[in-house]
Amino acid sequence: MQKPLVETRSLLLDRPFHLESGDSISPLTIAYEIYGEDPGTEKQVILIEHALSGSAHAAFYHEGETKPGWWDDMIGPGKAFDTEHYRVICTNVIGGCNGSTGPSSINPVTGKPFALSFPPITIRDMTEAQRALLAQLGIDRIRCIVGGSMGGMQALQFFSDYPDQFDSFICIASTMRHSAQQIAFNEVGRRAIMADPRWNGGNYYGDIPPEGGLSVARMIGHITYISEHMMQEKFGRIRKDKDLRAIFRPSFEVEHYLDYQGVSFVRRFDANSYLYITSAIDNFDLVTSISGMGRFRGESRARGTRLTTLETKKGLVISFTSDWLYPSEQSRAIVRFFSGLNVGVSYAEITTEHGHDAFLTDHEQQTHLIRSFLESLEHAQ
Amino acid sequence: MGGGLQLDSPVNRISRHTYSLIEDWIEPGSRVLDLGCGDGALLDRLIERKKVEGIGVEISQSMIVRCLGRGISVYQADIDRGLSQWDDMTFDYVILNDTIQVISRPHEVMNEMLRVGRYAIISVSNFGYIGNRIRIFLEGRMNTAIRTTGAWHDTPVIRFVSLSEFKTSLREINITLVDAWYYVAHSSIHSRRSFLSNLLADQGLFKLKREE
Repeated sequence: MQKPLVETRSLLLDRPFHLESGDSISPLTIAYEIYGEDPGTEKQVILIEHALSGSAHAAFYHEGETKPGWWDDMIGPGKAFDTEHYRVICTNVIGGCNGSTGPSSINPVTGKPFALSFPPITIRDMTEAQRALLAQLGIDRIRCIVGGSMGGMQALQFFSDYPDQFDSFICIASTMRHSAQQIAFNEVGRRAIMADPRWNGGNYYGDIPPEGGLSVARMIGHITYISEHMMQEKFGRIRKDKDLRAIFRPSFEVEHYLDYQGVSFVRRFDANSYLYITSAIDNFDLVTSISGMGRFRGESRARGTRLTTLETKKGLVISFTSDWLYPSEQSRAIVRFFSGLNVGVSYAEITTEHGHDAFLTDHEQQTHLIRSFLESLEHAQ
Repeated sequence: MGGGLQLDSPVNRISRHTYSLIEDWIEPGSRVLDLGCGDGALLDRLIERKKVEGIGVEISQSMIVRCLGRGISVYQADIDRGLSQWDDMTFDYVILNDTIQVISRPHEVMNEMLRVGRYAIISVSNFGYIGNRIRIFLEGRMNTAIRTTGAWHDTPVIRFVSLSEFKTSLREINITLVDAWYYVAHSSIHSRRSFLSNLLADQGLFKLKREE
């Protein structure tokens, strides 16, 4: 079969984009991709939200590339998000480094990269930027917003802020707020970057970036993304190098694996973006951000009316048994919260040994659940 | 749990009879939790005919998929681990249909049902039914008609209880019988009279509440 191709497009928003911090960015670039675009046909829209290190390139192939997008197993003809039936859109978060404006972008005022002069961003800023994009594309109704990990946070935030715009959400391996342990892991990653002398207060652009620090941050991440069992199965105590004098050089398989993950990450990711995005994740607290009607975006209305709106909405929450970074209990809390708001929420816990990464790798079971869920939305019409 | 049974056994006719009896007890527009909801057929019916707000609980992923396809809200969990997901008195009715026989801690589950809901509705297959007595007497073995599904070592059915034993044990855990149906599944025979029910009915359906 011919590989389906896609290009990353970008939207330039030339009016100031206001952030929760009170700062604004102008102009703002938002990178996005669209799959299943069928001019002339009216298709429902699915909005995909990416995780910490993701990009707008969720599916299909870029011209000349051999690797497809990060969720290609889930998006495409006949897949969970069937591009024959849906128009699927994925955008790169602001603060990122894969096309949307972030700390590595050029500040038009100084002509230099923003670095740490880039304003702090939140999960809501990420979804507000997407709202601006959707408005430009003339889309005001979304069939389903879906994401895993940080993508799940964006899905919950966007859905809760504008329930009228969404029929449903799917939140995978995520949480309404980080626990102390989750913040702690992120902080160690940030410290690794900032402790690298090449980080230089964030001013490394045009020079060698803090590769050492960023790769250590990524290594820590990867330890938390897979289960202990899987790591043991995959690597055990296998050694590549048995030379005892080679001490302090990677010799165990697992060390090589982490080394490889770290090194390949620094080639595609910006250290400052890592700092900004992990901070946005740690600061995310859904309940606080949406409580108090004054802080709801959209038209303000009486609480009662709002709850009635939510009654027709559907949600699907998925967790993985071996995910110790985002344990199932956090997903159950999401179900409790949205059930309390009268959203028709369902919950599935997939049995797997693949840990947090299962949302990217265990596509078969997710596909069954998601296809059924989306089909029922069609019948509800 | 219940789901597996509904698929590979002639339970469908039992279901239809039980469904209509359950339906008669449910107030329109109430909140219903269905434990071991299988493919969601009962909830579907209650949502359609009684406009209930329903949630199912299921342990099997394939049944979860079928519930989702029906548009039913479903929650994947092992009932034996409790219903801590729900606050006290969240529901008007908590249903345990065709499921009690696969539960390892029935009393704990029943207590939980009456914590999260006002009424518990429980269907019980009667081990003391005359047909079962005759089968055991003549064959000396628990055949699949009694066990419902599988061989002794791999059946999910682990609880064999008669209607009279079930009712007696309610007193031990301070649960009151509000209403009951005694019936023969593969027929349209049902009665509210408990006289000889432990012999003549192969199913019992009980509406229970916490003793005040």
